[in-house]
Amino acid sequence: MRRGMVIDLEKCIGCRSCAVACKQHNAQPAGSWWNRVVTPGSDRHLTASTPENLYFLPIHCQHCNNAPCVKVCPVGATYQTDDGTVLIDFERCIGCRYCMAACPYGVRQFNWESSKDGMQRYEYQNNYTYGYPDPFRLDGRLVYSPVRIKGVVEKCHFCAHYQAQGLDPACVRACPGKARHVGDLDDPDSRVSQMIRQMNGFTLLPEKGTRPNVYYLPPKRKEV
Amino acid sequence: MGVSKKISLTVFGLIMAAGALMWLIQLWRGLILTDMNNAYSWGLYVSALAFFVGNAAGGLVLSSMIYLFGVTALKPFARIGALCAFANVAAAMLIVLPDLGRPFRVLNLLLHPQIMSPLVWDVIVLNLYAGLSLIYLYLLMLPDLAARTGILKKITLPVKDPAGFSDTWARRLAPFSLVAAVGIHVVTAWIFATQGARGWWHTAVMAPDFVAAALASGTAVVMLVAVLCYGTADKFQSAFRIMAIFIATAFFIHIFLMYNDFVIHAWYGTDHARETLAITLQEYGLAHAFEVLAPLAGVVLLLNARVRKTMSGIMAGCLLIIAGIFIHRILLMPAAFNQMPLTLAPLGSQHTLWSVPIASGRYAPPAETFVSHHSYFPTLVEILIFAGVLSFVCALILVAVHQLPVVKEG
Ligand code: SF4
Ligand code: SF4
Ligand code: SF4
Repeated sequence: MRRGMVIDLEKCIGCRSCAVACKQHNAQPAGSWWNRVVTPGSDRHLTASTPENLYFLPIHCQHCNNAPCVKVCPVGATYQTDDGTVLIDFERCIGCRYCMAACPYGVRQFNWESSKDGMQRYEYQNNYTYGYPDPFRLDGRLVYSPVRIKGVVEKCHFCAHYQAQGLDPACVRACPGKARHVGDLDDPDSRVSQMIRQMNGFTLLPEKGTRPNVYYLPPKRKEV
Repeated sequence: MGVSKKISLTVFGLIMAAGALMWLIQLWRGLILTDMNNAYSWGLYVSALAFFVGNAAGGLVLSSMIYLFGVTALKPFARIGALCAFANVAAAMLIVLPDLGRPFRVLNLLLHPQIMSPLVWDVIVLNLYAGLSLIYLYLLMLPDLAARTGILKKITLPVKDPAGFSDTWARRLAPFSLVAAVGIHVVTAWIFATQGARGWWHTAVMAPDFVAAALASGTAVVMLVAVLCYGTADKFQSAFRIMAIFIATAFFIHIFLMYNDFVIHAWYGTDHARETLAITLQEYGLAHAFEVLAPLAGVVLLLNARVRKTMSGIMAGCLLIIAGIFIHRILLMPAAFNQMPLTLAPLGSQHTLWSVPIASGRYAPPAETFVSHHSYFPTLVEILIFAGVLSFVCALILVAVHQLPVVKEG
């Protein structure tokens, strides 16, 4: 079992619902975005860089098979599960940020201050809370917690808490374009494997040798 | 202790106190008090780690030159060398702590070390080096310890011929200290050079260049302390000459390795290489000019026999070299972090490359949420913490020179 994701850029409408759902479900501190959707080539989201050239690219942790972040982590706080998912143990991380220098995709977010201080800085209204309310442990390791302490690194955990309940990740469930799919990349007959095969699935930065478990399907036509 | 020494010690103490206070505040508020962000995640602290590691080189290299290659002219400075090595490697380990988001978890390094991480290798070699330089210092001082009183007398090994014992063991340890001295630079360079995500670091030349730059600045540190302790009397001139030649050679090898790398990358001209070179040579052009010209001026000064007869000349030469290498370490970061690793050619757009911005993780109303460039400049907190650790090095050397038989009288 190798858990992977396929994002169909043909179907993505650039609505950023996935980024919002991800942020809300995972109680991401103000200013942290595990998931971002960009408009390649353009400074502004949803704006064509050149005429007839508009598509969107959602980016989050690529759950690399050859993950530099796992290899650099001095204390094994960042680690890989048997299904290839890369997780962070919030209780183990010493906050050296070596993994942030190592990740080629810029998806790792640091808690520069406590989430409480951050909420104040961003002027969230008092007592506003959001996010999945319970901490989640996988084999005893704290890989999700609704309250963040300062000084640790976090990123997409493939919604490990929902997977444990048999649910798809928040971004997959929230996507109005139905652009996102999860499944077993080791199984050649799985939907995701078939999509990658039949629709020219590609990965980001293949030259870095990270072998991501997140694949993209190219858009057939770019929206105008 | 003379008045000037007391004043210096007080100043160092005050700066250390200010640095410690800043660290306390940073512990309480978080690294939000630095100028780093998610896209630019290492700054002055990690540059300073590389700087201090480099400065630690001189000491044990000098000692091993004396005992391996018989360069006896340097012998009076051997103890100073071991002391400088220890002080700087201790500072290197110290400056990592404020960079950690959760410094109190540093024990995890012992409980769960991951053998693949170059950071773990670095912690191991730095500790070994610190231990080795302390042992070296002790061995070299041994002949004079017995004559002291109190605790120093108590820790003296009861050997028949302390001078002979010290000499024999210093010689036996010399090969190890040479390997360790080179090792700390190679491993520290590997922290960066292994990172394929960062084009600026990912070059095989980094480790050898790191060694070369370290030998220049590390020897300059020892020379600076030596001239402050011993002055410029005739009997030390041959030692100063050897050190000056050594510094010059190391510096020119460093310049050669650096520009060799630039030329190769600039010639082939990948977009990544063009971008990193533009950051270093244009955006940080002044800093780059300084990192080359200041040590060059220092080397020219030190190579002049007349200059080497003056205290101020040697001091100026050494300080220029140390300052230049410091800026070299600072320049490790901008071209590494301001070139977004995730840069792609948008589908359907020819000949364009586009950097995917990263959530900065810090809120400031006028600033962008997603950034792909950051003009990092350390905050007062970062600068004072660094200054505190630098003062710690100076104070440690000053106190040790005063309390221990580091400087031979007469
Ligand atoms: S995308 Fe980055 S954080 Fe995610 S596994 Fe790959 S290297 Fe690690
Ligand atoms: S910041 Fe945390 S997760 Fe990242 S390398 Fe350091 S200890 Fe590991
Ligand atoms: S929610 Fe779906 S359609 Fe909207 S930006 Fe994300 S992937 Fe695209």
